[in-house]
Amino acid sequence: MFRFQKEQSVANIAGVKFGGQPGEYPTVLAGTIFYQGHKIVEDDEKGIFNRKAAETLVTGQAELSEETGNPAVLHIYAKTSIAFERYLSFAEDIWPGPIILDSADSAVRACMAGLVTEIGYADKAIYNSLSLATSEAEVQSIKESDIDSSILLAYNPSDTSVDGHMAILETGGSVRDHGLVPLAKELGMTNLLVDPGVAPLGSGAGSALRFSVVAKARLGLPVGSGIHNAISAWTWLKSKSPQVRKSCDASASAMQLLASGDFLLYGPIENAGFIFPAAAMADIMVAEAVRDLDIWTVESHPVNRLV
Amino acid sequence: MTQGPGWPPLRGDYSVTDTLGRVAAVTLASSMKLPYAAIYGPCRTENLGVEKVVANIISNPNIRYLVVCGAESKGHLPGDAIIALHKNGVDESRRIIGAKGAIPFIENLPMEALERFRQQVEIVDKRGLEDAGQIEALIEDLRFKGEPYREGPYLLSQKRSRPKIVAPEGIDAFLGSGMALDARAWLVVTI
Repeated sequence: MFRFQKEQSVANIAGVKFGGQPGEYPTVLAGTIFYQGHKIVEDDEKGIFNRKAAETLVTGQAELSEETGNPAVLHIYAKTSIAFERYLSFAEDIWPGPIILDSADSAVRACMAGLVTEIGYADKAIYNSLSLATSEAEVQSIKESDIDSSILLAYNPSDTSVDGHMAILETGGSVRDHGLVPLAKELGMTNLLVDPGVAPLGSGAGSALRFSVVAKARLGLPVGSGIHNAISAWTWLKSKSPQVRKSCDASASAMQLLASGDFLLYGPIENAGFIFPAAAMADIMVAEAVRDLDIWTVESHPVNRLV
Repeated sequence: MTQGPGWPPLRGDYSVTDTLGRVAAVTLASSMKLPYAAIYGPCRTENLGVEKVVANIISNPNIRYLVVCGAESKGHLPGDAIIALHKNGVDESRRIIGAKGAIPFIENLPMEALERFRQQVEIVDKRGLEDAGQIEALIEDLRFKGEPYREGPYLLSQKRSRPKIVAPEGIDAFLGSGMALDARAWLVVTI
């Protein structure tokens, strides 16, 4: 393990801290709820879902967070803005921590930004994400909102190398006029979380790991990823048992943490039961590895709770 | 035209039923069985997914029709990307001209391959249609229609070019992108 020469910023979102030197803060873990195909959702257009089942999932993640010391984030996916209103109302009742706003539809994401601002929830919201796909209308909505935290998705389809990902953040490379970091600052974002945008295995998934180290070294910003997507898209693995698939998922999560990840978008919230222990284990390993490097691990870290 | 055992060249989430058939089908975000198609399967992304579809089609000159059916993957719109690629091609930055999805770029295929795709197949646009019976009837009409494409299989080189990186002298571990590890201090530094 190692430390970074560049000072590492720490984002504080609704009391949850992301970033710092490896081993300093526990990794933040975000489980997704109401995702496409989620069994607890009965109507994804209207946002009708099994509230009892949703409560069990959110509470389960919160309990694991309390036990391990790894802070949790609720990653809310919505197909429509109507559905998001219902999901947000549920989250307000049951979850005091940060939430990630996510939709495949840019118009829905823009509505989400407006809605959380309207009800005074913007300081808990993390916009997912600013990327190449961010439309002008979306930029305008974010500008008018009170959201000050965003994930920056550094996926660069015209250059999938580590340098290509960096270019999207810093300059925009050959596909944007400006980099995502200057864009985020222009939009009033103060908490920037960098995500390489993990490609499938065989298409460059591994470069996300080296990118994580390079992005922290160059920008000093918190970095993390949805490395779970590389595993779930792996055709060969689909024929294997759930136990084997979970093992690969947990291993990939630990690899991201070892590559200086500060947060993990670990996929379906149902996976909390095996992701939290895997992440806590990786965090303990890292914390022990950096003890001689003048890095002080915070009190709430798994190394101070579980061993 | 007989196809070798190596077809399709790229692995993916698809089924191959008849290497001599004229029809390939992309079911977008829907899951359905289309045994009359030479090859069929989903495509969920407007960049890497579309690249795989193109590479596997141009490597089999027997395929002359591409049926694009099923539900679009929201936000990504791979069906729209395939149709726009076929109609318009890509611009200098390799963005698919006119595609409306999130990140519609084709990075890993040469322009020649894209041109071949545009010439080799005719698109049958059935986006939104999820009735496997209706799609099968359509494929059945086309599966023996016409001749194979006039040229042989277009195979992409599997050999990837590796950029030559010269690490500066006197460093312990090179991380690329101007970063290195000083192992005496276990410090990641700028070089």
